[in-house]
Amino acid sequence: MQVADKPPVNIKDTMISIRGICKSFASNTVLKGIDLDVRCGEVVALIGGNGAGKSTLMKIIMGIYEQDKGDIFLRGEKVKLTKPAAALAQGIYLVPQEPMLFPNMTVEENIAIGFPDKKSELHMKMINIMDQLGWKLRLDRKADTLSIAEQQLVEILRGLLRNAKILILDEPTSSLTFNEVESLFKLVEELKSKGISIFYITHRLTEVFKIATHVAIMRDGMITLKGSVNEFTKEDLVKGLLPPDTKLKTTEKSEELDYTHLKPILELKNLTGYGFKDINLEVFPGEVLGVAGVVGAGRTDFAKTIFGMDEVKSGEVLLNGENIAGVSTRTVLDKGLNYVPEDRYLDGIFKIADVSSNISSASLRKMSKFFLNKKAEKTLGDEYISNFRIKVTGHNQSMGSLSGGNQQKVVIARALSTSPQVVILDEPTRGIDAGARGDVYSIINGLKKQGVAVLLISSDFEEIVELCDRAVTMYQGRINHRFSKHQIDLDNLTAASFGVYEGDDSA
Amino acid sequence: MKALKNIFKAREISSLIFLIAIFLIVGSINPSFLRFKNLLLIFNGSIVYVLLAIGIAFVIISGEIDVSIGATLGLAAAVSATLLRDGSSWAAAVISALIVGAAVGLINGIGVTVLKIPSIIMTLGVNGVVRGAIYVYTNGKWVENVPYTFKAISQATIMNTLTYFFFGALILMGIVHILLTKTNRGRYFAAVGDNVSGAHLIGIPVDKTKIITFVACGIFAAIAGVVYVSRVGFVTPTAGNGYEMKAIAACVLGGISLTGGVGTVVGATIGATIMSSISRVLVFLKFSSDYDNTITGILLIIIVVADALIQRRVAEKARRKRLLARTSGEGGKNNE
Repeated sequence: MQVADKPPVNIKDTMISIRGICKSFASNTVLKGIDLDVRCGEVVALIGGNGAGKSTLMKIIMGIYEQDKGDIFLRGEKVKLTKPAAALAQGIYLVPQEPMLFPNMTVEENIAIGFPDKKSELHMKMINIMDQLGWKLRLDRKADTLSIAEQQLVEILRGLLRNAKILILDEPTSSLTFNEVESLFKLVEELKSKGISIFYITHRLTEVFKIATHVAIMRDGMITLKGSVNEFTKEDLVKGLLPPDTKLKTTEKSEELDYTHLKPILELKNLTGYGFKDINLEVFPGEVLGVAGVVGAGRTDFAKTIFGMDEVKSGEVLLNGENIAGVSTRTVLDKGLNYVPEDRYLDGIFKIADVSSNISSASLRKMSKFFLNKKAEKTLGDEYISNFRIKVTGHNQSMGSLSGGNQQKVVIARALSTSPQVVILDEPTRGIDAGARGDVYSIINGLKKQGVAVLLISSDFEEIVELCDRAVTMYQGRINHRFSKHQIDLDNLTAASFGVYEGDDSA
Repeated sequence: MKALKNIFKAREISSLIFLIAIFLIVGSINPSFLRFKNLLLIFNGSIVYVLLAIGIAFVIISGEIDVSIGATLGLAAAVSATLLRDGSSWAAAVISALIVGAAVGLINGIGVTVLKIPSIIMTLGVNGVVRGAIYVYTNGKWVENVPYTFKAISQATIMNTLTYFFFGALILMGIVHILLTKTNRGRYFAAVGDNVSGAHLIGIPVDKTKIITFVACGIFAAIAGVVYVSRVGFVTPTAGNGYEMKAIAACVLGGISLTGGVGTVVGATIGATIMSSISRVLVFLKFSSDYDNTITGILLIIIVVADALIQRRVAEKARRKRLLARTSGEGGKNNE
């Protein structure tokens, strides 16, 4: 991959210059010589798949890790950032992806902690900054009552109060709603004009063109592409993300499904629960039904409730004509419905167990009466490892040491090992790299051929366009639109998800 | 009005109400319990627990635990009592005891931070080591013959009411309370207990803070040991045995969360007073005081479980309210 040859940047002119940073963890080399420069008021979008090394690089800048090789220069001077306190003193501030506030303290205490200044002065400063930015946030609220977006505001406020010159935003929009994203972008614009340098880590390419001045793409611990944003198109960026020899995959639609002789396997009738209302839906065997919508539209709450993890307030869930609303998760599983959760770290995996045990953990009851059937576990594990192309050293590798994409494949394998008739996949490709994404897609297509009904919840609308036979969109807890195959496209799904679709429904 | 509301929100208030309720209930069964003299005995008798509870409050608020304080109290008491018996000055005895306490705390702190041993295991091990050290130091014998003058100071009272020790403990509590709530660095303890990685990220020296909590806890255990010598007048090798449970229960009763980040030493003090009153309550209700530890243990478990259940319910209620708010709007209804 070519890295544009340009005259060497004079480190005296930059806010921060990174030179030849290398970092390994045990035998795993994560960063292989990173060079990067950021000037005042520049917003550098850092993009790359999981495991590309973005977070590691940022943690080195923040002083959480120490580099093995290489130097960091701030305003032309070499600095040693050995701990977060040192980085903070240099005006570097990291807003982590999951805000790390003190839940039992108030907003004000959260912002003020760690400052030697007088409380009354700090209070005035906070008020001033919030006025300047036009934010309204009560300072005496306890942090655990804040929404994720508000928590992020508090984090940013903390950084600004410390007179941060370099702000690192790690996937700031991943848990924000549409309006919140807009106000974040406005804020970034203001910070830009104040001369603050920003590292902006993201998975969303459209954001890059909206707010970044520069872009750097990381892959396998190297920067494969960098430069000013206006030098690139979206296609260039996608190319930079993929390994050099892969062809760019275009979004293709699968064949249209013939519904005339099909009977629905799963029917939802006026299903109402916490976070969603009046859901009516039919799912047919052998189809992939997409559920689109923005984060917080109620898709996950609705899936979890069907799976027996939350209370059904009213309505029916008919699986093969039998009402399973409100029964336990174990019964739902036995009846042939399985759910692959959105957050595999929180709900999905047993980190320290090996891959085979993870795959077999949902079907242990079927495999033997009391003692573990190790042989059957191994057979099952090996079968899925080869079918799903799970990259492991063996079926006994521990789950925690796999990459995100491979973990996701194991979680799906576990769900399928129970031979379900209906599978709900919740954001199956979130945060996994392009290669693993392709594998997950072929797994989904394989399920379809076997006649399994798949409910695909996804915020990645290209995924829904590519895979789904029908799609619905959820908006504020309700299904607001239904689309048949030929209507599914990015424009329609996006408009409907944001509640602004004007066309007709058909399906 | 707002100040009043804040007072009732404070977790310490429910502990105070609990304390008053115990007094009133026991008093209604046996009125002599509420006699001024008996109440004085309860308050004056609570000093050792109050000191231990203040010390361990540091550790619990910072999200750790220390089960070695009973043994630390014992060793500090044995060391100071031996020195006093052999004619050393009071200052030498007290300072030696404090050094013992600080040393044990430092070992605990280094084990938990540098060696990264879970605090329950580290302090359990240290508890065994220190308890063993008491036997070695005293040859398994009682330390007796502490000078009468030293014993007398624990009896000295202000106008025949509360002892100087009691006021001393209250003043210490006040100082620690101000340090923990009103100073910049004092907030670090709660911050570390509330969210360790968040604390690290904004530059709070997490390890240093934790080591300080263990050292402070050890020092308070040592002070408690010196007070113990003055009050009891002799030290057995088992002195302070089981006091750690009482101190932990006192903190929990006083509204300090075992998960860290929440609570004050004022609460711990109220809790400690409740703990020390239990043995007298048993006497006045004509139960054997053998039940003392059992009741303390049951109380500890009930409060921890109740607290966890209440917090879970509050969190679940808040979640459901938020989710219901989503569908209450009419926004999603168009086109449906």
